[in-house]
Amino acid sequence: MANEKETLIKIDEVGKWYEDVQALDGISMEIDRKDVVVICGPSGCGKSTLLRCINGLEEFEEGDVIVDGVSVREVRGTKNIYKLRSKIGMVFQHFELYPHLTALENVTLAPKKVFNMSKKEARQKGMELLERVGIPEQADQKPGELSGGQQQRVGIARAIAMDPQTIMFDEPTSALDPEMIRDVLEVMADLAKEGLTMIVVTHEMGFAKEVADEIAFMENGNIVEHNDVETFFKNPESERAKEFVDRVLVHI
Amino acid sequence: MGLDLSVIARNSNVLWGGFLTTLKLFGIAFAGGLPLGILLGLGRLSSKKWIYYPVSAYINFIRNVPLLMVVFWIYFALPIVTGHNIGRLPSAVIAFIVFEATYFGEIIRAGFQSVKKGEMQAAYSTGLTYTQVTRYILIPIGLRRVIPSLMTQTIVIFQDTSLAYVIGLREFVRASTVVNAREVRSLEIFGFVALVYLVICLAGSTISNRLEEEGE
Amino acid sequence: MKSRGQLPALHFDKMGYQFDWGVIIREPYWRWLLNGFIKTLILGSISWGIALFLGIIVGTIRTLPAKTARAIGKAYVEFFRNIPLLVQLFFWYYVIPPMIGQWFNRMESLPWIMAIFGLGVYTASRVAEHFRSGLNSVPKGQRQAGLSTGLSNWQLYRYIIIPYGFRLMIPPITTEFLTIFKNSALAMTIGVLELSGQSYKIGTWTFHSFESITAAVIGYLLIGLSIIGFMGWVEEKLKIPGLVGRG
Repeated sequence: MANEKETLIKIDEVGKWYEDVQALDGISMEIDRKDVVVICGPSGCGKSTLLRCINGLEEFEEGDVIVDGVSVREVRGTKNIYKLRSKIGMVFQHFELYPHLTALENVTLAPKKVFNMSKKEARQKGMELLERVGIPEQADQKPGELSGGQQQRVGIARAIAMDPQTIMFDEPTSALDPEMIRDVLEVMADLAKEGLTMIVVTHEMGFAKEVADEIAFMENGNIVEHNDVETFFKNPESERAKEFVDRVLVHI
Repeated sequence: MGLDLSVIARNSNVLWGGFLTTLKLFGIAFAGGLPLGILLGLGRLSSKKWIYYPVSAYINFIRNVPLLMVVFWIYFALPIVTGHNIGRLPSAVIAFIVFEATYFGEIIRAGFQSVKKGEMQAAYSTGLTYTQVTRYILIPIGLRRVIPSLMTQTIVIFQDTSLAYVIGLREFVRASTVVNAREVRSLEIFGFVALVYLVICLAGSTISNRLEEEGE
Repeated sequence: MKSRGQLPALHFDKMGYQFDWGVIIREPYWRWLLNGFIKTLILGSISWGIALFLGIIVGTIRTLPAKTARAIGKAYVEFFRNIPLLVQLFFWYYVIPPMIGQWFNRMESLPWIMAIFGLGVYTASRVAEHFRSGLNSVPKGQRQAGLSTGLSNWQLYRYIIIPYGFRLMIPPITTEFLTIFKNSALAMTIGVLELSGQSYKIGTWTFHSFESITAAVIGYLLIGLSIIGFMGWVEEKLKIPGLVGRG
């Protein structure tokens, strides 16, 4: 297996400040194609910021991110950033569905506008995606009429509508009621089987254990430990990761 | 056509007198409008129909009529109702209280509505009566939430008092037109009036903005 | 200096005030009222056009990244918001025209021109604030969600931020639209015979100001209630489920 590995995303000493607070501290990390990487760590450690630096939603002052050979630093501020973003889907903690559009329209807006897909084609594709996440019946409802779990599944459908090679999840289940979390995690596990590269910020260690290939543990804007799942849970190298594992394993 | 700022100094008596009238009008209108506004705000949330409907009708009626017309209307209606000539200042004061209270009322109602049901229920559960809950919970919490909006409305009232001009009350603007009729120096005179309002209202809105930021 | 009449005294006799509601429907007064009503509609509508156009520009300027642009937008808003409209109208009517030239100062339609202009630029400052706060109320996550799917900045504004923000603006902008008709009454102070001006004039001719002003008040109510009804219908049509509306 090892010889098939190919780096898709390379995070190279990225540093970022909010005013005078350092959010990312020269962080480096490599993510291989088709891998599922879970990023965990205490809140405020920079997980979400890191995701937003990868697709250029947040600017960073130091270092660079290379996505499939394209430098985020170089395409930032040019039209090519849109192309880069369309190759990386993103799912948000609070869904961020467009409230004035229906579930289906939420999914099809970008394919129609960025790829100039015809209405009919976009609709067909959108329906397929909604079926894939299990909510085709809700296609014509607006987000305000959907449950949290349904909204997040629309969010996932929207993120994969551009056929991205990578999809990033920013705490996708932490705003959901417990009974809805499983539905969403199942959809995510299915996507992982289909060979998408996934970067998942989450506290769901059960999901990490079963689905992820690697886990990265972050603290204070840096990566404390980045290992394969088995090593991470059985023999964590760092003291902090060990503490963290001990604490969360009680829950599982 | 140079500027002749001495017209302001020459007529400072008249202008100052007008300004004082404006302040008086504003002070009384505010002092009367706010309590009436609180009552209207409570009335808008009343579950008693005989309170809610008349109060709502009154508010919706006044808010759809120009202030200028209310000022006129009261001015002409008062002698009919009372049989006496009431005078310009009392007439203007009544008009402003009647008018501004409806705007205060709607702001205050929004403040009351922002008070959480739980807070009210907690108060009731300790055995407080409606009046006590209103007095010690609803009004203090609700009013505090809308202080910035009330400030903004207060600045609006200050500007609105200029409309007493139309019934011939010699407030600041009327006084300035009196001076202008004599001196024909409209740039200096109206420029001065505009500047005075600008400085006062800017100061007011700066304070209101600061309050709002602190509130967050 | 243009002259201004004295306030008409009401007509009292020994029995007290004698109402005469007939003045509202008698010739030529009903024509004056109708004429004033129509003029109020025209005055409000044209000024509204100016206010909306200018207000959207100023409101957008206030959201731009460039600091100078934002400062200019803010200065505009603060200037017009903190001086009474009455004083502004006097300024436009008495101060500015002689500076432009005597040909302009002597134009017969000067009151009209200045009333429309004055109402328009004043209301624009208020529209600008609603426009700006509407755009700013669109949650940041919407912007990120849009960009993350590869939309360009222009597409983001076109399909997400403006449609979303627009719906948030409807209630305050409706209020503003209503207000411009109410504020248009001030045009009578610079000699435009719109609804309030006509009702005032009827008072000076008949000494029945109370009746004529009541008629004008009803006219304003008619305008206000029809706008509220219409905009309520629009709002219902454009409602976004899950977003809190007017309450």
